[in-house]
Amino acid sequence: MTHTMVAEDWDRQTFRVNREAYRSQQLFDAEREQIWGRSWLYLGHETELPNKNDFKVRTLAGRPLIFVRDGEGEIHAFLNSCPHRGTVVCRENEGNAKNFACFYHAWTFRSNGQVSSIPGLDAYPGDEAFRASMALRSVARLEIHEGYVFVAFTADVPPLLEHLGDAADYMTMIEQQHASGMTTLPGTQLYSVRGNWKLAVENAMDGYHFSPTHNTFVGYLRESGFAVTDDDQYAYTLQNGHLLLVLTGHGGRISMIWEPRFGEDERVRTQEHRAEMVQRLGERRAHYVADESHILFVYPNLLLFDIEGLSIRQLEPVSPGVTDVRAWQLVPKEEDPDARALRMRTVVSFVGPGGLATPDDIEAYEAVQRGIEATAGGGANDFSDMSRGLADEIKGVQGRSIDEGAMRGFWRHWVAAVAPAGLSVTGERPESFVTGRDVR
Amino acid sequence: MIDLAVSRAAVEDFLYAEADILDAWDYDAWLALFEPGARFEVPTTDFRGWSAIESGSFVTDDWDLIKARVKRLKSRKAHAENPHSRTHRLVSNVRLHPITDPAAPLRVGPVSTNVALTARQFGDLSDSFRVTASFVVHRARDGEFDSYVGRYDHVLVPHEDGFRFRLRRSILGHEFLTAGARLSFIL
Ligand code: FES
Ligand SMILES: [Fe+2]
Repeated sequence: MTHTMVAEDWDRQTFRVNREAYRSQQLFDAEREQIWGRSWLYLGHETELPNKNDFKVRTLAGRPLIFVRDGEGEIHAFLNSCPHRGTVVCRENEGNAKNFACFYHAWTFRSNGQVSSIPGLDAYPGDEAFRASMALRSVARLEIHEGYVFVAFTADVPPLLEHLGDAADYMTMIEQQHASGMTTLPGTQLYSVRGNWKLAVENAMDGYHFSPTHNTFVGYLRESGFAVTDDDQYAYTLQNGHLLLVLTGHGGRISMIWEPRFGEDERVRTQEHRAEMVQRLGERRAHYVADESHILFVYPNLLLFDIEGLSIRQLEPVSPGVTDVRAWQLVPKEEDPDARALRMRTVVSFVGPGGLATPDDIEAYEAVQRGIEATAGGGANDFSDMSRGLADEIKGVQGRSIDEGAMRGFWRHWVAAVAPAGLSVTGERPESFVTGRDVR
Repeated sequence: MIDLAVSRAAVEDFLYAEADILDAWDYDAWLALFEPGARFEVPTTDFRGWSAIESGSFVTDDWDLIKARVKRLKSRKAHAENPHSRTHRLVSNVRLHPITDPAAPLRVGPVSTNVALTARQFGDLSDSFRVTASFVVHRARDGEFDSYVGRYDHVLVPHEDGFRFRLRRSILGHEFLTAGARLSFIL
């Protein structure tokens, strides 16, 4: 792409994104190659496979994969494709199996990927090297941070921790919330959206839409005695395309920030838990872990909503206008049953395609996807404006969550990866411009 | 004990009337079909019978949230349903089941959708019975037309003018929700 995709104008303090970025098949193909083919991608959480030989199949960047814990307890990600002639080896969605048998010519593989049998092996060279060469193909790289399993389809990626940068510590903070650690629960929200994946990222990083879009949810919070506020809430661009919203005023957090609708028992539990955290983590760390809500985007396909409760959301772009979404609830391994029940009720009431808020988010980005057809081919009119808050950032004031600074961080990273020639810069970024946040 | 032989037609009438109420977008009338304290659940598409208070769900509404959901849907600010979806519901395969042991899973449909009723969530159920049925909800919105297929697994309580929901549960038959298929309306 040589024409302008992202236009930064430091003199006029504007930032604009070409709507072609949400529509173009050519750009979608470039993303597959430059982003999904070359970065660490979130595959799933270790706790989704609690037992030896547990497996899930999952599609990432359009590739069918088997996410499995082998007989020794090691986590693997195999391309779900028979080394013989390419058949999908595992046709179940999930389960527990010591072996995967390809039904076509009955080759069988152990849960660690090794060949367990090839019928009529005598027709082949038949030696160990041949058998070894026919093992299930693994992804090029797999690394785990705090239980989050990431894979890459090329070996040429930096170590995972290097890629995660400051985002890694926010994932650690989630793990530190409870002494028992965290686990995913069954009951995965699997749904698909008629919108470009980047609109889902923007929506998650967009505090500006909260009050108008979630008007009915805000009303529900107010009625239950919670004062909704946009004060003291910030948006950060971390390194490597990761983004962070720090929030406090859009609802409490189970066991962290109490609000009236959670009830008196939860007030007591929250106080006790807060004291335990100070003991375990120290006052400063406990403050960052407990008193702020975070929405963390780990570039390019993972969103961690550390808000009412904890939701892991994974994005899988299907086509320029369609995105598959998968969402899991992450909970303390050991939790009071009443707190757990309250957590599930509260989380589900907000997030997910049947909640009281997420459907309006989906409506919003599906409506963008339809609306941006209107300006196709419209030259200067075919751009979306994301300038909100840029004037503050230029002065060295930290961007607010109700501004569009996190989105700008995303697009700067995106344009460098996918369409570097499409970045148009006017004027100069002032020295005072602020980025980043690191509370380690 | 409820006389199941005579009440099936009445239960069918109740479910058909509910379907008409929902298709007519008459949410006050819909709320009146619930007893105070009732629950409304829509498990996820990978549902294997686990309790909604111990798992992710699409909907796990207690009585307060049912009322909040109704209030929201009646508002013009429920953007995902403004304009409203047009729905057309078919209810069929209605069967009644006495609750002899609330902890025993109901042997109906794929094993994976059998779920016991926990005392923790539903209390004493001796005055109630269970009804299962199949549903198809056709939905038109945004120039698209989708279908939602599944099974009801409700707990009903007899009432002077028919029945009331103690638990209204819609279990989808889908593997996942296809593009555009958010559950912003009542399934
Ligand atoms: S393709 Fe799998 S055994 Fe032949
Ligand atoms: Fe939102």
